[in-house]
Formats: sequence, C-alpha cells, structure tokens
Amino acid sequence: MDITMTNDGASSSRQGQVQVHFITNSPDIELPEGKRQLLVPTNVRRYGLSQILNSESMLDTPAPIPFDFLINGTFLRTTLEEYLTANGLSSETTLNLQYVRSLIPPLYEASFEHDDWISCVDILSRSSVAGIWDGSEVVSGQERILSGSYDGLLRVWNKSGQPIATSASSSAGGHTSSIKSARFISPTQIASSGLDRTIRVWKYTEAEDHFSAELKPILELYGHKASIDSIDVHGPSNRILSASADGTIGLWTTLKNSAPTASASLLTSGPSAKRRKITTSTSTPQRGHLSMLSSHTAPVTAAIFNPLDSTVAYSASQDHTVRTFDLTTSSLVDTRTTSHPLLALTALPGISSQLLAAGTSARHITLLDPRTSAQSTQVMTLRGHTNKIVSIAPDPESNYGLVSGSHDGTCRVWDLRSSRHGTKDEGGGLVGEAVYVVERESAKGGKRPVGGEGIKVFGVQWNRDVGIVSGGEDKMVQINRGRGVTRPDKS
Amino acid sequence: MAPTTTDRKRKAVTRDTPEISDVESDAEFGDGLLEGILSQSEDSDDGSDQDSEEDEDEEDDELGEINALDSDGIPSDGPENEAEETNGGLNKSNGTTANPLRQLASPSTLEDDDKPNYTITTDANGGERYVYEEIDPVYDSDDSDAPATTNTIGNIPLTFYDSYPHIGYDINGKKIMRPAKGEALDALLDSIDVPRGWTGLTDPATGKPLNLSQDELEILRRIQTNELPEEGYDPYPATIEYFTGIEEIMPLSAAPEPKRRFLPSKHEAKRIMKIVRAIREGRILPYKPPQEQEEEEEAIHYDIWQDEQSRPDNIMNIPAPKMAPPGYDLSYNPPPEYLPTKAEKQAWESADPEDREKEYLPTGHDSLRKVPGYEMFIKERFERSLDLYLAPRVRKNRLNIDPASLLPKLPRPEELKPFPTVCSTVFRGHEGRVRSLAIDPLGIWLATGGDDGTVRVWELLTGRQIWSAKIGDDEAVNVVRWRPGKDALILSAAAGEDIYLLVPPVTDPETEVTSRDLLDAGFSYATNATQALTANGARKEPVAKWSRPGSRLEDEGVLIKITVRTTVKVISWHRRGDFFSTVSPTAQKSAVAIHTLSKHLTQIPFRRLPGIPQTVQFHPSRPLFFVATQRTIRSYDLQKQELVKIIQPGARWISSFDIHPGGDNLIVGSYDRRLLWHDLDLSTRPYKTMRFHSKAIRAVKYHKGGFPLFADASDDGSLQIFHGKVVSDMMENATIVPVKVLKGHKVKSALGVMDVDWHPREPWLVSAGADGTCRLWM
Repeated sequence: MDITMTNDGASSSRQGQVQVHFITNSPDIELPEGKRQLLVPTNVRRYGLSQILNSESMLDTPAPIPFDFLINGTFLRTTLEEYLTANGLSSETTLNLQYVRSLIPPLYEASFEHDDWISCVDILSRSSVAGIWDGSEVVSGQERILSGSYDGLLRVWNKSGQPIATSASSSAGGHTSSIKSARFISPTQIASSGLDRTIRVWKYTEAEDHFSAELKPILELYGHKASIDSIDVHGPSNRILSASADGTIGLWTTLKNSAPTASASLLTSGPSAKRRKITTSTSTPQRGHLSMLSSHTAPVTAAIFNPLDSTVAYSASQDHTVRTFDLTTSSLVDTRTTSHPLLALTALPGISSQLLAAGTSARHITLLDPRTSAQSTQVMTLRGHTNKIVSIAPDPESNYGLVSGSHDGTCRVWDLRSSRHGTKDEGGGLVGEAVYVVERESAKGGKRPVGGEGIKVFGVQWNRDVGIVSGGEDKMVQINRGRGVTRPDKS
Repeated sequence: MAPTTTDRKRKAVTRDTPEISDVESDAEFGDGLLEGILSQSEDSDDGSDQDSEEDEDEEDDELGEINALDSDGIPSDGPENEAEETNGGLNKSNGTTANPLRQLASPSTLEDDDKPNYTITTDANGGERYVYEEIDPVYDSDDSDAPATTNTIGNIPLTFYDSYPHIGYDINGKKIMRPAKGEALDALLDSIDVPRGWTGLTDPATGKPLNLSQDELEILRRIQTNELPEEGYDPYPATIEYFTGIEEIMPLSAAPEPKRRFLPSKHEAKRIMKIVRAIREGRILPYKPPQEQEEEEEAIHYDIWQDEQSRPDNIMNIPAPKMAPPGYDLSYNPPPEYLPTKAEKQAWESADPEDREKEYLPTGHDSLRKVPGYEMFIKERFERSLDLYLAPRVRKNRLNIDPASLLPKLPRPEELKPFPTVCSTVFRGHEGRVRSLAIDPLGIWLATGGDDGTVRVWELLTGRQIWSAKIGDDEAVNVVRWRPGKDALILSAAAGEDIYLLVPPVTDPETEVTSRDLLDAGFSYATNATQALTANGARKEPVAKWSRPGSRLEDEGVLIKITVRTTVKVISWHRRGDFFSTVSPTAQKSAVAIHTLSKHLTQIPFRRLPGIPQTVQFHPSRPLFFVATQRTIRSYDLQKQELVKIIQPGARWISSFDIHPGGDNLIVGSYDRRLLWHDLDLSTRPYKTMRFHSKAIRAVKYHKGGFPLFADASDDGSLQIFHGKVVSDMMENATIVPVKVLKGHKVKSALGVMDVDWHPREPWLVSAGADGTCRLWM
C-alpha cells in the first residue's frame, strides 16, 4: 500500500490519490497478495489503470493485456475522480477494482457479398463445436464460413471471402425454397433447413488445394408441416434438432440407415410442386423423423441441445415459453413462461450455472435459468435493441459474453457482469446494457432505417478464430473481430 | 257636579255601547231617521245608566280595557270606533248640553217661576214689545281654571294702549279699563301710607300695582342683610368624624395574619376540582367553540373621510388620521439591522402577497442613484387598467379546478401494455398502393393486394416476399382475406368483378391437398345445380359464375375465379369458412352476395337494399349478418330471415366496421373522421365517439386473439391503437383508452393507410399504406 507509482511524478502527488484494491476472478492474472492494495492518482482512467497493472512491479506481463475495471458491477468509463464525485465517495475510501480482460471493440474485417438475403451463418474452425467434435484439428487458416441464403443455396467461404462451394439448386436436389438455418455437423457434413419444410444433410468435400469443394445432398428429412426456422446439431450422436413454425420440434438422425422412413403424404410434395418434382434429376434418400415433440402452441423459433448433455433439449417459441425436453424419452420436462414471444435461443455457460438467453420480439434478451429447481424464471434482461432479436451466439472466450443479432440492423455484444437494477418501467430485475454495438457495414454512417429495412440481421455466430460473423438482409456476411481479446479465460 | 257626571256618563256610554255601535253606525250612515231613535233611546237609557253607574263603574273599566284590547286586536276598528266615539260624543254633548241647560234652567225657573224674564214695552206702533233680558250665558266649560279676567291682547307692549282709556279686552270682549293713575291718584297716594310690599311697579298682566308678599319681603330682607335666604338652613353643620386623621400608634388588632391569607383555599381547590372533573367527564366544555358568524352580520364600515375636505379647526370635525411617517426600513439605504436576513427574505418571498406583513422588502442601496425603478410599476398600471376595464367591484370566487381532475380517470397507457409501439418490419414490393392485407389464421403469413394487380404473400416476421401472383390484369386487387380455420390455407382476393380463391404454395402438401379439395368440392355440386337451372329455361342468368381461372393462374395457385357483375370491394368470411360475403357497392340489387364455398353457389340475400352497402360482417358467434350502408348498420337474423336491429352510428359515410369477438360491441369507422364504439345491448346510438384523426378513417379492426385492443387506419397516414376492454358484467361499460398513435406511412395523393389487420395471437398490427409499403408494428 505504500507503493506510489513513480512514473506519475510530482504532478500526481498534487492531485488526489485514492486507495484501490485490485481483485479478479481469473487466477492466471491474479496479483500476489501483497500487491493488491495500491495508492493511485485519482485522475487516471481505464487506460492508466491498465498500464499500472501491466507494469513490471505489478503483473509484469510479457505483452500488455488490456484490462477493463469493474466497480460495483459497472465498467469504469471515467476517471477515478469523476467516479468518486459522481457517487459521492470521499477519496479516503478504498475502491474495489475488479479487473477483467478488456473487450476490444469488434472491428470490421470483411464482407462477403451474396445474391440474396442471408438467413444464417455458421463457422467451422478449430474451436467451433463441429471442429471440436470431429477431433481432427481444423488447420488454422482453413476456417470455413457457411451461409444459408433466401435463394435456397448454401455457400461455404474461406476467411478471405472466396466462395469455396455452393450447394445444388432445387433442380439438383437442393432446397426448393429459402434456407432458414444451416449448421456444420462435422468438417465434412452440413445440415440445412428452410421454408421447404425439409432438412437436408450435405456431404462437404474439399479439394486438395482447399480452394474448391463440393456439396452433395446425402439425405432429405421430411416431417414438418411448416417452415423449419432453426436447427441445432450434435455431431457425436449424429442428431439434428429442428424447430418448425408448425409448433413442433423434430429430432432427426443424420444416418441414412438408422433414420425411419418418411410419411408418404409429406413426400408427395403437393400438386403445385409436381412440375418441379419431375424435373428433379437426382434422387436423394428421403427419411423421416426420430421423434416429433409437439407441445408448443405456436411456431417454435429455436431448439437447441444442451451443450453439456445432448439428451436434453431446450426450445423457444412464439407462445412465450421456453421448454425443456428429455430427448431419450421425448418428454416435456419443464416449461418456463415469459411475457413475450421468443425468437431466438442459445445456451450460455453462465456465471455459476448454465443460462439460456432468449431473444424476444419485444426487443430485449431474457436470461433464464433452465434448472427446474430455479426459483426465478428471469435472471436478467438485456435491453438496447430496437427491434426483434432473432439470433444469439455465446462469447467463445468468456462465460459472461454473448452477441445478439436483431432486425434493427445491429449486432450487440453484451457482458453479463455489467448490470444495473431495472427501472419500474422495465419491470425491475437486473438489466444489462450492450457493451458494443456492431453496425452493418453496408449501412455504415447512415441513419438506421425504420424497421431495420434493408439491414436486418438474421444470423450471427461468434468464433474464437474468426470473430463475430453475421448475415442479414443486406446480402452480406460481415465479419467483425476484436483483436487481442482472444485469450482463454481459464476460470 | 253635572259636568263630571256627564263626563263619566260619556265614558260609560262610549264604553257600554261598542257592541251595538256597529249596527248603529251602519244604520246611522244608511238612514238619517235612526239618528233620532238613537238619541231618544240614549236619553231613555240615561236614567238606568246613571242608576247602574256606580255598580258598573269597575266593570266599565274592565270592559274598557277589554275594548282597548279588542281595538288593539282589530286595528281596523280603531278609526271607526274613534269616529263612533266622536259621534257619540257629539250626540252625548248634544244631549248633555241640553240636559244641564234644563237642569241649570230648572232651578232658576223653579226659583223665579212667577217673574218673567222679559219686560213688556210698547214699540213704535204702540204694540206690545217683549224685551227679553240678556241671557247670561253661564258657560261652565272646561277652561274654568283660566284666570277670571285676563287681558287678551296678547304679547304686545302695553304702550300701544297708552292713548286709550282701556288697556285691552277680557275674554268676553269687554274693555278692561285702565286703572286710575296720575294726578287723581297722586293725591290719594299722598294721603295713604305705602303698603307693605308696595313696589311701585305695575303687573303687566293685570295692569295693577305689583305688590310683594310677606314671604318675599322676608327673603329680600335676608338677602339684604347677607343672611341665607332660606330660613333654617345651616351652612356649617357640625363635622361628624367618620374617618379620623389621627394615626394610632398600635393597630387595632395585634393578631397574627391568618393562615388563609397565604394558604391556598381548600374550598376553592374543591371547587376547581369539581370543575376539572366536570371538564374531564365532558360535562363542561373547556371553551365555547367560536360561533360562526354569519356573513350578513358583518359590521358595515363607513368611510367617513371619503370626501375629506380641509376645514377650519373645529371640535366637531375629526380630521382623517395621518399616514405614519416613513420609517428607517423604507429608506433606500436602511441601517443594516433593518435589512431582512436571508430567511426573512425567503419567508417574505414565499408568502402570499396578502399574507405579507409588509408590502415591501427593505433593500439597501449604496447611493440613491442605484435605486432601481419601481418594479411593480407596470404590474400595478396593468392591474389598474384591468380594474378600469373590467371594473370588478365584487370579489369573484373563482373556481380553482385542476383541469386534470376534470379528465376521466383513465389508466396510463404503460399499464395497458402490451400494444404495438414501433414499426418492426417494412414490407416493400408493391407498385402503387397496397389496398388490403390480412394475416393468415396461424400468424405466419401476410397476404397483401394492391393497385399493381398482384396478391403477395410475405413472411410476417422477416418481411420476405414468398409468393406473388398477378390476378388483376389491369385492375387493382381491392381486397384479400384468408379463409378462417387452421385446417386449410385458402386466400380469397378480389380484383375488379372477379373473386379469386387461391392456395398459396407456402404450406405443406397435406394442407395444400386439403385446401384444394375444399375448393374443388363444389364443382360437382355446381354442375348439377346449373344443369337443373338450365333445364328451367325461364330462369335468368346466375348472379355469379364459378370457374377455373386458366392454366397460367392455376399453376401459380389461383384455383377458382368467381365472376360477379360489378366490382367487388369487400370480402367477409363466415367463421366456419364455408360462406363468405362480398359487397359490390355499385351494383343495384346484387350488391351483397353470399357465396357458399362447398356448393360453388352465389346467392343474393337482399332483393332491395335501403342504401348503398359499404361493408358486411358475419357475427362471430351467432347467426347474424351485419350490413353497413352509408349511414346505418343493419343486423339480420339469418335463420329467421328478418331484420333484427338498425344501428345508427350517426356518421355520414361509414367506411368500415368490425364486431368485437365477444359479439356485443361494434366499432365503426367513417369517412367523416369518426370512430364510433357501439354497445349492441345498450343502444342503437354510439356509446363513444372518437374523433382524433384529421382525415377519413378507412379501416377499423378488433384484435381477435384475446387482447383488448382495436386499431383504426386513417388517410392522415397514422394508425391509432385503442385499449377497449369489454367486461362481461352488464352493468359496467367498456373502458376505451387511446394508447398509441403509430406514424410512418406516407400520405400519397391524399391517401394514407388503407387497411389494418391484427396478428391472431400477438398484439402485432399490420397496416397497408398508399405509399406501397406494409408495416408490421409490434
């Protein structure tokens, strides 16, 4: 506590000084016991504090780590002095500064242009789920970005923005209508679903030079009666979970042999599609669902596997509920009712336990504790979007971060550690606000149009190796990346 | 004696006869003959009266009192009685004067019976002439107390009569002769002694020498001798020593001061305790509550110095009090102790001007030139002008009403959430106006139809156009409506005279097949029916023709075309999805048509219509059918086939209406900007009229999925969302609260929002604009 920073010089001694106590949740950057108390000048900001922490006498990091500082759950964005005066604290008090690795503002990297609206994106990389499941390391630099588009085509891109593969058109066994969701099952397998009420499994084979590849449909899965808005995949068990607008959740297998046959009435693709059927040259095996969970009363907008336990599924629906299913028995376990139609769902590792983040049509993200034992249904609300939130992805590097894509044309990065108590208008509870707002590059500088017209974001993914990838109505896949953020949080 | 008796008699009579006086007076005034009777009877009464006089004397008094009381009681009798009295008095006086004359005359006549009172002389002709003695009119009147002989010349100096031998006249006009004086007397005087008391003065009243009496002389003598004039008065009586001036050395009593002088009195304490106890028990109220003085009792103050003029100093003149001279605190630079402290200043400023002790606040200025102008100058002038202009002489009790309290107590819009607030999705694609739109029963698709002749189906949430079909070649699609029911997905659209039934290829094969089957089911029936019709040759051409629209459209999903005679503007489905009604306002008789989907049958329910039909609706639960003409809405019972009710919203031109899903309420939108809420049970007149739009209202719609919301669309480019809660309690009225105005649509050629529809489950609204866009609000 007697260490006064020498580099601040005599000028700072004239300034006020305040005693701070540095704490952190990350053990790898923890300070030794004796160094945690420090007298710092009050005119420093985040950058100054970060410099102090990185200095030789403190952490002595080989490369400076940018830190952010949390006081009482809010990020320090002013000088310490301003913070003290704003909160009516005297400089005699000891401030508890929790330091966390700073989120670097996600900077725009690239855009990949498409012919039509992009409904979904997925990433194959060393750190993506598909890459991890496969076991065979995806070579760094060989990351692939998958985009599903409203023109019914899947495209696979490399990081430099070159399309490596495009799926077959409807006449060649591709989707007959818009694709709404697409995922990598493994580095060689892709699942996609769309408005044509089918899930298609594709075999993805890359050429030796990694600059061209082939997408071959290997399976068509029939069973839903309406558009399949979202799918989730589990590679090790070859399961696909689908959420459809007909209010059902389908469980499918990607294995042709173990999949049951599809119901005939759904196969005959209707009188109006007769023409198209005739022209289809290739025939893909058609299969049905393993089970169909129909407990929702409105269109199901998202269904996901529990990342820790693939036998548990969560689903979000426009009937305001999040439901938990046990997939082995195909039974409904739990229903959580919120107050708004839900349009997106993702699972977060959470702070202490697993959390579900659900995007609503009422422009906010609701964080739910899915455990049946949990008392309160809503843990936290993230507010800031100005339109429906249709896609959420967790932060790959932190238990506390997530990114959301909304029809207002922005992706927002949230940190659950920064929160405040909601006002009465917001219904109370803990309310979080966005840390960063990622605008669409296509509409950069301009005013956001009403209803996000032309720049709606439909899909967003966040990968450690690639960054934040989002696609939307502007027909662009946009990659944003906060460089230097990427350091594993080992806690 | 005689006068007193007459006096008493008169009294007695006047008091005795009031009972008959009325009769008498009446008779008296009516007939002079009776006068004599009265006087005679009175005369005859005299004796008896006098006899009973003594007995009745006391009675008379009592009667008099009673009479007085009576007369008091009947004041109108007063003057009459008086007149009566005077009359009677006169009569009596007549009588009595006659009586004493006789009585007086009688003794003389009795005494000098033989001696005549005349002397007989001879006149100039030698005849006898009776010369009567002068009658001595012994007039024994009331003024008997007057002096016997008094000069009647009045108050004039006696010198006026110096030249006459008399000095005036007595009461009988006889000269009062001057008493002898002068030389004739001198001799006499010389000869006789001056009598005692002689003054040598003449009494002016009598003209006789004024002599002093013995007593007067005695008084004069005492005065002359400096004695007290009154005899026996002792001016110096002996002093009675009531109080002594001698101070005694010892007090009278040497007893010590009693205890009671310094001990509190037990008796008083007892009495006080009694009172205290009484107060405690509430028998005595500690103080009397101040009585509320009535305002009338307010003392009136007069300003006696209102028109004060300077007058010379006089004891009767109280000048107006002068104004107090200015004090130190009025100075421009008062001593610091006179300057108010901050708290005082604040108190002064916060107090009402009427409550302030002083009208001014002492303020210090360093020098006189720093004294600012009078800050109240303008205000006072203004108020004075106001005073002159309005001249209020009475303080008006202005009602201090908070305008907010007059507003009806409506819940805050925030409490009525959810309702649509922002534009969430814009559906762009139509060229020209979007005339109509509808969300399918499942809430996934949005169907629109517009001026470009296309019907489009959009993904509701993303705003993606999924399907489009051009059905009107050069005619606008006037209306699109989904068939209710979740079993099939059938869209109906009208362009020009054609009604199309479509199955958009956005659904799964099973539903699509069901839908197609539903549409095609009527063909067999229709062919049979038409055959029957054609067999009946006299029958005229059917009102509508159901047919296939042609292969091009059939491939796109347009399956049936119904051609009617005139342009169809409105399609309204029955809840079961088998019937739908169309309105073609320009048609005469066949304006309203009801189509049966399962039979491909078109019927015209009304042979004659009371006006130009605007729109129709089926009741959501009962077999009722509502037809809106320009001014009225008529509801018909479809089973009994009779008119049930005529609703008169009072609008000039109804544009649209909608029935509450509960079935008992109705909203009506009109081209004259009004939105009207009807309670069908209550009255045929609107329960509430809302006129919030600046342009015509084109469409109104209730939320059908459980939210108490309704919306209207107006040509001013805005939509208004209302919270309209209908309670099942019959006694309670619906609460209608405007909650939101949604703006965003651009007004194009005086057209704003053409149509609205609600999402079947969520509080989401879609609107079709003349600017070619549709918007989803959530």
